[in-house]
Amino acid sequence: MNPIITVQNLSKHFKIPRHQRGAFGALRNLFNRQFSLARAVDGVSFEIQSGALVGYIGPNGAGKSTTLKMLTGLLAPTHGQLCVNGYVPWRERRQYVGKIGAVFGQRTTLWWDLPVVESLTMLQHIYQISKNRFENNLYEFRKLLELDEFLDTPVRSLSLGQRMRADLCAALLHDPPLLFLDEPTIGLDVVAKERIRQFILHINQQHGTTIILTTHDLSDVEKLCERVMIIDKGRVLFDGDLNRLRQRFGGERQLQVDFAEAYPDLNQPGAKIVRQEGNRVTYQFDRRVVSASDLITRISSQYRILDLQVGDPAIEDTVRRIYEERLLEKVG
Amino acid sequence: MRQAFTLYLRLVSIRIRSQMQYRASFLLDVFSNAVVVGVSFLTLALVLQKFDGIGGWKLWEVAFLYGMVEIAFGLMDMVFSGFDPSFFGKRVRLGSFDQMLLKPVNIEIQVLSSEFVLRRLGRVLEGLIVLILAITNLDIQWTIVKGLYIPIVIGGMVCFFGGLFIVGATITFWTVESIEAINILTYGGNEMMAYPIHIYPDWLRRFFTFIVPGVFMNYYPALYILGKADPFHMPAFATWLAPFVGLATLAASLRFWRFGLAHYQSTGT
Repeated sequence: MNPIITVQNLSKHFKIPRHQRGAFGALRNLFNRQFSLARAVDGVSFEIQSGALVGYIGPNGAGKSTTLKMLTGLLAPTHGQLCVNGYVPWRERRQYVGKIGAVFGQRTTLWWDLPVVESLTMLQHIYQISKNRFENNLYEFRKLLELDEFLDTPVRSLSLGQRMRADLCAALLHDPPLLFLDEPTIGLDVVAKERIRQFILHINQQHGTTIILTTHDLSDVEKLCERVMIIDKGRVLFDGDLNRLRQRFGGERQLQVDFAEAYPDLNQPGAKIVRQEGNRVTYQFDRRVVSASDLITRISSQYRILDLQVGDPAIEDTVRRIYEERLLEKVG
Repeated sequence: MRQAFTLYLRLVSIRIRSQMQYRASFLLDVFSNAVVVGVSFLTLALVLQKFDGIGGWKLWEVAFLYGMVEIAFGLMDMVFSGFDPSFFGKRVRLGSFDQMLLKPVNIEIQVLSSEFVLRRLGRVLEGLIVLILAITNLDIQWTIVKGLYIPIVIGGMVCFFGGLFIVGATITFWTVESIEAINILTYGGNEMMAYPIHIYPDWLRRFFTFIVPGVFMNYYPALYILGKADPFHMPAFATWLAPFVGLATLAASLRFWRFGLAHYQSTGT
């Protein structure tokens, strides 16, 4: 099968003007601009097969959004090749964007002061969707996303979750073979997140839509993607299937403890301190080595504690671990 | 092209409808807009009355210039408000411009239809009243050509100011700090063109003749319509330059816009 996305050695470097200080700083900025180079994306290569659902994850500022902006034709790359669905996105932007769907979680594509349904009708004209297809799609998405309750509400009065549902519908009305989602669940509560995930899964499975989503919520990826790419500092650290990632790091859990007072030595066998802010300490441990309850019992018998919380490691910590273990292998 | 045009009408009609939602407040808006600019004209009229004109031009002759430029600027400010650097700069900063780039429609059409500030009609209305008062109080030797030339000159000025807006919007691709500089050209140009150009110092006149050729937009057509002599002895065709300079400014600004857009795509925000 031919890949629907081919990315070769893709880089995006930004020149950031360095502000000069001092009395005539502004004036000097004007005539003698100095730049520092930020490598937002630095030599990324991958292929994505048609019908895949790929998670593109990494901490804030890792280069996720920049990659997505290049994939959607908003930015031209500094170096490297990029071919999506037979197009070079930045060069053929107008033709290209008619054949993809994109949702940038923080922004809406809908018209702020129009009722949702009118925004969607406007998109019918913009994408020149036939009446029949439009109505069929709208009927399907209305049910799946439960849009009916706010179809006549102006976009500006929607809640974040409702807006995201409306935006997802908007991105798919023209049956794009490819869907880009930038942080589709950011800022949503658990129920809303779950609903969005169900929908994404449905679109991928029933419509065969290829979906690339960025997130910094690892549970999005766990619930949705077979393949995950981890990016940090503009480079791909891990590219492969989720099971491998889970095997490698899934045993790890975190325990966050708020101690009542400062203690000199807080080290525990079988657990590693990954963060320490005042009296709040975060341990990371492998549950195959030590269980959470054992660890908690041990700590609470030795120290006075105020509060504790067990959780999965944040993506930032996973990425750091990948760094530490130099797991730079790539699986195609 | 036809598709783009119908889409433009659709998008603009949204803008208009949402502003008309509250009819009373809309009318009040138009009215207060007219009053605000009207008051500034009244002040001018009082001063001119007292000093018996300016630079040899009588009150109603200046009012003619003033009315023409106000109509044109008001219309432009309404039609081109999507390119208004302060609106557009915000769009770039907040990323809603990216949302436009994600739609398979001509980007200029989208920007143009992203705002349509209907209350600017107040300014158009005020300009129209001043112009009509000027014409009725002046003894103009009317010909058909003069009558036809008035709307053409206004159209030329709409293009001219629109071009300046587009240049300003384009600059926000690089920096939002220079909006003030371009505002000097648009709002300052508007002010400047409301008065006979010979009252200004030479350097300013030269600037608005050769660099930003505003003098051809209103002053020279007015000399012709009012039957006044040109103190600077420009060639006679200066009278007829207004529509061409307007269109040329618009065309050049769109080229600059395209260049800025390419830059935007290669740097992001």
